Amino acid sequence: MDALTTAAMAINSPALTAVSLLLGNDVIFGALILALVLIAERRDGKRLKIMTALVLAVAAGLALKSIYAIDRPCSGAGCPADYSFPSLHAVTAFTLMIAFLDKRSYPFFLFFALFVAFTRLHLGVHTFEDMAAAFPVAVLAYHIVDSRWKNG
Amino acid sequence: MDRETKRQAIHFLVCMAALAVLLLLSRNWLLAFTFGVLLVGSLLINMTMRNSKISLVEWFVGEFEREGVRLPGWGSACLATGVLMLAAYLMSSTDIAAGLVVLGIGDGLSTLVGRRGSRRLPWNQKKTMEGTLAFFLGSLLAWIFIGPLAVLLAAAAALAESLDLGIDDNLVIPVVCAIVLSVL
Repeated sequence: MDALTTAAMAINSPALTAVSLLLGNDVIFGALILALVLIAERRDGKRLKIMTALVLAVAAGLALKSIYAIDRPCSGAGCPADYSFPSLHAVTAFTLMIAFLDKRSYPFFLFFALFVAFTRLHLGVHTFEDMAAAFPVAVLAYHIVDSRWKNG
Repeated sequence: MDRETKRQAIHFLVCMAALAVLLLLSRNWLLAFTFGVLLVGSLLINMTMRNSKISLVEWFVGEFEREGVRLPGWGSACLATGVLMLAAYLMSSTDIAAGLVVLGIGDGLSTLVGRRGSRRLPWNQKKTMEGTLAFFLGSLLAWIFIGPLAVLLAAAAALAESLDLGIDDNLVIPVVCAIVLSVL
């Protein structure tokens, strides 16, 4: 396991673990993402574009998980049953972050994405490699949707 | 030296620097370094777009960035993302090195040669046969790392680069490299 993942897992903080578990819940995380889109973006067209990019990014992430079929670094109770690479939480958070690249709120979304990625490392359900692999998926998904959106 | 030549020189140097990190350190170091550069770079792009005056960014964009790009630093961000994609989705160092050669030398040469070319591609009037041929020949240097497979990799990447997909080449080429090198 890489040094970053080991360091994140070694942090002994019940509060951090509780927040990490909360964000690790797919329903809560999905609702949080949806809420952030609705709060941070007022334009319906841009909201739809972000949601489309998120759907594309998650679909690509799911496909890559099946193709690469890399096992989780964890096992047993609390360890998700699906494959590890890339992290879908990170794919989602990075896609949301990129959608706000030109906005004043970008530093918040950057922090949010890094925090989400960090919580996955802290729980030991992903490695840094899974996080790094999520970033290009997010960029590509948003770029594809953005370029098609502008071309009509 | 005109802006496009300088831009391609930086493009080449970035890929060779990534190759050096990969070969002298490790894949994990390349992942961490590129990831860090992208995060800091994205913050700089954001600050520039919000009219913050960052002299280093202004100089870099003025010297090396193409005109009319969607964001200041967009080309550099795509290149760094392409490098990260190669490092993340190819598992062996030799495959990543081959991808970096295609991205750094093949793509760079195609732009430099292609804009002086005269014979347009039938399927894409924005690109020339000379540029696509230069891409293919430059990418063959990947032979150093992966042997004869480099011919297939160079052909697939040259074909993909010649298409008008509306997506930045620095993102398309790593996808093609990852598919070819993972499948074969």
